[in-house]
Amino acid sequence: MRPLDEKETSAVFEKLFKFVGNNLKNIVENPSHEGPDANPGRYCFRLHKNKIFYASESLVKRATNVARPNLVSLGTCIGKYTHGGSFHLTVQALNLLAANAKHKVWLKPQSEMSFLYGNHVLKSALGRITDNIAAGDGVVVFSMADVPLGFGVAAKSTQDCRKLDPNGIVVLHQADVGEYLRMEDEL
Amino acid sequence: MEMEMEIEGEKQHKFDVDLGNLMAFDSNHTFPSQPPLSREDLVKQCLLKGTHLVQAIADALFTSPSTEDVDGPLVNLPPPLTKLPREKHLPKPKPPTKWEVFAKKKGIKNRKKDKIVYDEQSGTWKRRYGYDRANDEDAVPIIEAKETDDPEEDPFAKRKENKKKRVEKQEKNRLQNLKEAAKFGALPSHVQLAATALPITGTQAAPKKVTKDELGNVAGIAAAATASGGKFDKKLLGEKPAKHAGKYRKFLPVVEGTGIGSQEREQTEKILNKIISKNSHNILNVEKAVTMHNVKKEKKRRSEKGKVSPTDNKLKTGKKSFKKGNFKKGKAKGK
Repeated sequence: MRPLDEKETSAVFEKLFKFVGNNLKNIVENPSHEGPDANPGRYCFRLHKNKIFYASESLVKRATNVARPNLVSLGTCIGKYTHGGSFHLTVQALNLLAANAKHKVWLKPQSEMSFLYGNHVLKSALGRITDNIAAGDGVVVFSMADVPLGFGVAAKSTQDCRKLDPNGIVVLHQADVGEYLRMEDEL
Repeated sequence: MEMEMEIEGEKQHKFDVDLGNLMAFDSNHTFPSQPPLSREDLVKQCLLKGTHLVQAIADALFTSPSTEDVDGPLVNLPPPLTKLPREKHLPKPKPPTKWEVFAKKKGIKNRKKDKIVYDEQSGTWKRRYGYDRANDEDAVPIIEAKETDDPEEDPFAKRKENKKKRVEKQEKNRLQNLKEAAKFGALPSHVQLAATALPITGTQAAPKKVTKDELGNVAGIAAAATASGGKFDKKLLGEKPAKHAGKYRKFLPVVEGTGIGSQEREQTEKILNKIISKNSHNILNVEKAVTMHNVKKEKKRRSEKGKVSPTDNKLKTGKKSFKKGNFKKGKAKGK
């Protein structure tokens, strides 16, 4: 477990920025209320075995008691560095993204399952969509009951969606809560 | 029965008790030679004898005059009677120093000097040596020039130089005398401990053997000690490439004192600001602005045409805040 260096930090922040925009400030400066310390500090990012963890400082401090090979996880794993060295967000980051999301998409109830099996979001599945999404933006996918289901990347801008045919892909799937079942041992 | 008899007999004769050393001794004791005792019996007998001797000491202690104290009676021990031998041999006599030899030849005798001397310059009595001493040459602020003086020479520098020379000479003499003493094995104990550090024994400390690791380190430093970090140097036959070609990666501490490390906080702040400022042009959404402008224009035109119902407005405009402001405006214009 170690803090991220400058390169890693900017990679992580840039990825998060795609989803949350200027709300990134809230994530970074999120004060924590955990731990026995009088001054619990805030949340911070830590790298451990190629995974990025989002944990409160007091937790990090206490986790230093565990030897590196023995430490499996701490706080919330929000993503990982791939073998190729790029940073991917994982589904565990969903709560963090959903709370601060800038671009959202709501799915119709009948097409929720399709998304939860790992498929892309089609135009026909779209219930609602926030304004001014540009292609390539990070989008958080919700059910109509405002339950976060996953996230992905916008394939089309909001404007283009209007003219899109029903089978066109709107959001490219990146992660969904179905992964908790499908990829249980990988997470 | 025999044992008991013996004890009775022993109780009668007195031991030599040396209270000063807290020691007792039975001068009349003899080990029976016939029949030879077994080891076990011997130990038993010794312990018994020891018990009696200690008892004798205790008796002597409690019969001697004592003073009462919080912790119990206190006894002043008399001076020891038995003379114990010295553990270490007597120190060897130190050979005379060069000055002592000279003084003896000339018949010079040490006289006690006063600690306090009259200082002519200040007209007071001052210590002979040390800080603020009497007749201190160095404390003279003005040196009168003489006809014979060399104008090039700084008299103050010369004075300092002379003092330094005197000190050096004394140090040299001291070491010479110590060297002489070392020959006779009569070095003072405090010097003996540090003898290898002084140039008196003639032998220096044995040169340390350089380990393989140290040699490797030195070789590595030397190989990288060029402008290019040793990149373009010709490799010698059998020379291995440097173990660490690049810099070591250094990471911020995992936890830094109390709370998040200031360095880490600084770094995150920097990167956050960089990313936000890079994307700040997105704050102005051109498309949205154009739509808003169009809607506004439309409204203006309508209001000029005539009265506009609020329901009409609601239908036309998308954004709530915008709708509100415009609605009022439209109303005012309408009136």
